[in-house]
Amino acid sequence: MPTLLELQQAMRRSLVLHDNEAASALVADGIPPDRLDIYRNTIVTGLTKALRLSFPVVQRLVGTDFFNGAAERFIAAHPPREAYLDRYGGEFPEFLRDFPPATSLAYLADVARLEWAINGALHAPDAGPLDLAALAAVDSEDQSHISFVAHPAVRLLRADYPVDRMWRAVLAGDDEALTSLDINAGPVHLLVERRATGIEVVPLDAPAWRFLADLCAGRSLQSALDRAVGLDAPAVLAEHLATGRFTAFVLAASEPAPALRAALA
Amino acid sequence: MSPRAAKQGSLIPAKAGIGLRFQHHQAVIDTKPRVAWMEVHTENYMGGGTPLRYLEAIRRDVPISLHGVGLSLGSAEGLDQAHLERVRQVAERIEPGLVSEHIAWSVVGGTYLADLLPLPMTEEALAIVCRHVDQMQSCLKRRILVENPSTYLAFRHSTIPEWEFITAVAERTGCGILCDVNNIFVSARNHGWDASAYLAALPPAAIGEIHLAGHAVRPLPDGTILRIDDHGSRVIEEVWTLYRQALARFGPVPTLIEWDNDIPPLGVLLEEAARAGALMTDAKRETTHADAA
Repeated sequence: MPTLLELQQAMRRSLVLHDNEAASALVADGIPPDRLDIYRNTIVTGLTKALRLSFPVVQRLVGTDFFNGAAERFIAAHPPREAYLDRYGGEFPEFLRDFPPATSLAYLADVARLEWAINGALHAPDAGPLDLAALAAVDSEDQSHISFVAHPAVRLLRADYPVDRMWRAVLAGDDEALTSLDINAGPVHLLVERRATGIEVVPLDAPAWRFLADLCAGRSLQSALDRAVGLDAPAVLAEHLATGRFTAFVLAASEPAPALRAALA
Repeated sequence: MSPRAAKQGSLIPAKAGIGLRFQHHQAVIDTKPRVAWMEVHTENYMGGGTPLRYLEAIRRDVPISLHGVGLSLGSAEGLDQAHLERVRQVAERIEPGLVSEHIAWSVVGGTYLADLLPLPMTEEALAIVCRHVDQMQSCLKRRILVENPSTYLAFRHSTIPEWEFITAVAERTGCGILCDVNNIFVSARNHGWDASAYLAALPPAAIGEIHLAGHAVRPLPDGTILRIDDHGSRVIEEVWTLYRQALARFGPVPTLIEWDNDIPPLGVLLEEAARAGALMTDAKRETTHADAA
């Protein structure tokens, strides 16, 4: 008699790898082994639906048949590792980049990366904004050693193609905007965040994007300021603080930060 | 084990409720439908943002039940502790009137097979499910309900009838039973069981909730018919009949209308719930008459 673990491993081979041999032997007499297909279909349909919800613009760009075909291959190669399906599909952009039938659509993987960032922002946990009074109370000699904790819904993305404009045009069903778009217009630097009104995709210029990326990565304020060239850093920092892009700060060691005082002023 | 009650929100009344899906969030907020309670899939509210905000707004007016679909109580390799912790966090935030899961499995070797897969009905599987129900009840500090599955295949080495298996889980762990009447009908037809006998074998005191849903009827190439629990249509007449039998045996029990595919306007769910509610009222009247006689 097989153990439960042996049975579950046999079922996994059947449902993920289409290898029915071990599982068929366990099925009771009189039940055709193709009943396993019912479960496999439910799994593939459900996971394809989850991918469609996370990558609606990719789906519209390639069409339903292409998308379903790609999803089926993806599911076989990357079945979910947890039952929290809002987080399923993180490898889909890379999968599309290497998916031979999609090679003519060079921008597709970048569109998928944007949609994955949006999905992450959509489902990130809630978190309150940073305590501005506590921040203002930090001794001036400690201020340069402040580093910030980014809101879990903040995502930063650099892409080779203007995927933000493609994304907007596809969602709006604006074919004219889509066809008139110059896909070789150069790279874009995007901030994706969740506001009370919904998800926002904000194009930033490269210095502002790098400054925020540095801060979100936990780099100290002083170090981020040292790298911030061509940027009104106090004004930019003030906006990040006012819009709740950070939820907390931590102190490491010392040196004054005039930019913080200016931002809080 | 008899876990002490955790902090609970409004209790789920012995009336009809509906499964709440994202498509109806706004309609529920806008129209405040007269429905006694609602149930959501726990896994849909594990993140923050909009879904949780809607649910927190809705739960101020309507008692909420949490129905899990991903904990995989039947996994031989043990529960995914991270997933159990996510379930606990949702329960802490929503303070549900009821919490339920399934007699099924979906996780093996670190892979989530996104369906409620059938267990072999063996002593080994029974012991494993009981251990996991104990863990879930300890973690949530409350009694849970376990639901009978709908199944399309059975295993050669099963030794325990499904109704005895689920009854044993309730007896050994102190959990309750979520009796899915449609699942009993579907599995009975698929396996040639007697659905009424299945109902009659369940312990009335353990029944904490009933589910009703529609299912698909699929003719197979070999001439047989397979019933598939797709929650994509109205409850069929035979299942309403079985539901009346369930009410006669169990008395009035919180009853949920589930709909997950081809989701119709909210009004259709409310019609189905009204029908379940009317049958519950009839059953109560009949019970009262019987008591008086």
